[in-house]
Amino acid sequence: MQIEEKLSILSGSAKYDVSCSSSDSQRSESFGSLGSTYKSGICHAFSADGRCISLLKILFTNQCIYDCAYCINRSSNDIKRAAFTPKEIAELTVNFYKRNYIEGLFLSSGIISSEAHTMHLLLKTLKLLRHEYGFNGYIHVKLIPGAPEELIVAVSKLADRVSSNIELPSEKSLVLLAPEKSRTKVFEPLEIAKNHSMEQGKTPIGMSTQMIIGATPESDFEILRLSSALYKKALLKRVYYSAYIPVNNHINLPALLTPPPLLREHRLYQADWLMRFYHFRYDEILDTQNAFLDERFDSKLAWALRNLHFFPIEINRADKETLLRVPGLGIRSVHKILYVRRQKRLSLRDLENMKIPLKRARYFITVDGVIAAREMRGYERLESRLLALEKPLPHFQPTLFDQLQSISGEI
Amino acid sequence: MVWVYDGSMEGFLTLVARSYLTKTVPEKISKYPSKISLFDDLMQIQTEDELVTKLLGTMQQRLDPLFYRRIFHAFLCDDCEVEYKLLFYIRLGLKDPSLLYDISHPIIHAIGSCEKMVLSTLHRMNAFLRFEILQDGTLYAKMEPPRNVLPLMGKHFCKRFSNERFIIHDLKRGLALVYDGRSMQIYPVVEYDIPRHMEDERHYQQLWRCFFHQIAIESRINPSLQKSHAPLKYRLWMTEFMQLV
Repeated sequence: MQIEEKLSILSGSAKYDVSCSSSDSQRSESFGSLGSTYKSGICHAFSADGRCISLLKILFTNQCIYDCAYCINRSSNDIKRAAFTPKEIAELTVNFYKRNYIEGLFLSSGIISSEAHTMHLLLKTLKLLRHEYGFNGYIHVKLIPGAPEELIVAVSKLADRVSSNIELPSEKSLVLLAPEKSRTKVFEPLEIAKNHSMEQGKTPIGMSTQMIIGATPESDFEILRLSSALYKKALLKRVYYSAYIPVNNHINLPALLTPPPLLREHRLYQADWLMRFYHFRYDEILDTQNAFLDERFDSKLAWALRNLHFFPIEINRADKETLLRVPGLGIRSVHKILYVRRQKRLSLRDLENMKIPLKRARYFITVDGVIAAREMRGYERLESRLLALEKPLPHFQPTLFDQLQSISGEI
Repeated sequence: MVWVYDGSMEGFLTLVARSYLTKTVPEKISKYPSKISLFDDLMQIQTEDELVTKLLGTMQQRLDPLFYRRIFHAFLCDDCEVEYKLLFYIRLGLKDPSLLYDISHPIIHAIGSCEKMVLSTLHRMNAFLRFEILQDGTLYAKMEPPRNVLPLMGKHFCKRFSNERFIIHDLKRGLALVYDGRSMQIYPVVEYDIPRHMEDERHYQQLWRCFFHQIAIESRINPSLQKSHAPLKYRLWMTEFMQLV
């Protein structure tokens, strides 16, 4: 098989993995002279779906002994199978890297013959790249649940980030759709990698996981509760949410033509951001009565509308934490406000000059005791006013035409 | 009075020093040669190294390093208005360095925005630059960035490709950054030959295009999102968007 055909098959199979970040590598040792990592990560290209391409994202092989219902590579699917050799992957990575196409490699794999054998092949590829080719760019590797500890440790030593996908937000769904996997089994390699890097007295290696959204009936509340627990245990740097795209026909899954719940995924990411950077607790964002995120508003605005007693906030006095809770004020705006506040008292004109977006914020703040917008009266009017500000989100709803195209295969 | 200078940073700094010496500010600042009206009252500014060194020393001593750097970054934004604002900014800062912290001041904010524009163009260019490998192994890239970010790009690529040789060619401004494996230098480019590529250059470009198309998920196709992340003006020299001849 030609290398181009392999690349076509094995990147096509890897694309449903969302993670593509190349940021925040804390690796101290250098493996060679080719390449470097960049603190904030670099998105080198943007594919037609608007997603960032930072890494050469491929599977080692799409052959798999597992039969997970949601996965395109499940063993019972009749699709074309292929496998790279470690050398082919190393050549591709280095040649793409030198041309500045990518930040590095994202290597995952189907399970070929056994977990240990698969992990061993990935390790061999990493060794070749790091030691023979002197490749010092970013490498993200999927750990294979069920692989022996020493292989996992060896791989983690050579990678910038490792991950293992939890796939479904509850154990029940996992049993139903991925009988060979379990929560404990998925997290085992992450625990091993973390414990090992802690023993070395280093900062723990960056880890992430991914959940499929909309394939199973879990609520947003349950999803956020799980993410929050994962962040709290400091186990993970990122949880990725992936709107389920039906690739298989299965009795327990949405039908093949169901469009992916992209807006829900978007709102979940916003809520995730609130937890990681805005000091929100998951049970502030949602509770058992409101178990799903409001799709009309972003999560912070929805929270503000439910907690009007918290507002208005005085822009010249409020502390950082409080300012961060104002809808429309992001971290950058809050920093700007705090920065200038050290010099002088702010007026509304100052805020405008500083290009602080007031479209939403003005309903929730006072400037020197003066309410920035008069509409702070009742919930009903405020809500409709804010709703009118929202831009329609046409690109989140694929049209019938797109679906027809994807069925007939004419793109 | 319109003050005309040669467009270089040194030229501009001479202009600033001149404004101190003559105790005047120009009505307009213009690059030479440029669109100058016949009736404009002109003053030619010749670069004087001595004045530049002296001014730089004062600036470095008086200003917060953050603002000192900001002046150089903002200058690269290639905006016709920026020189006038920068002159004001430097004069303000040298009068009272603490004034520059007030970003609610329109000119101080504008200089901040200019710097932001330059740095965001720099980040994009570091990401979207595409090298081709030439016969002798040199990496060669063409670009036409909206801001003059070439002087800032060397740092990133020298770190990344410290053992390689590379050339980054700004076609729009006729400049090239050359790194020979040890040191880098920026040269003006008057004319150049079409370079000869390594044998499998085409092959890897083809593989990259193949990967680029495969990685998109059909049911999420979203050209407007793609356009906002990778604006059309950057796509000209990006391998994945180039039409095959």
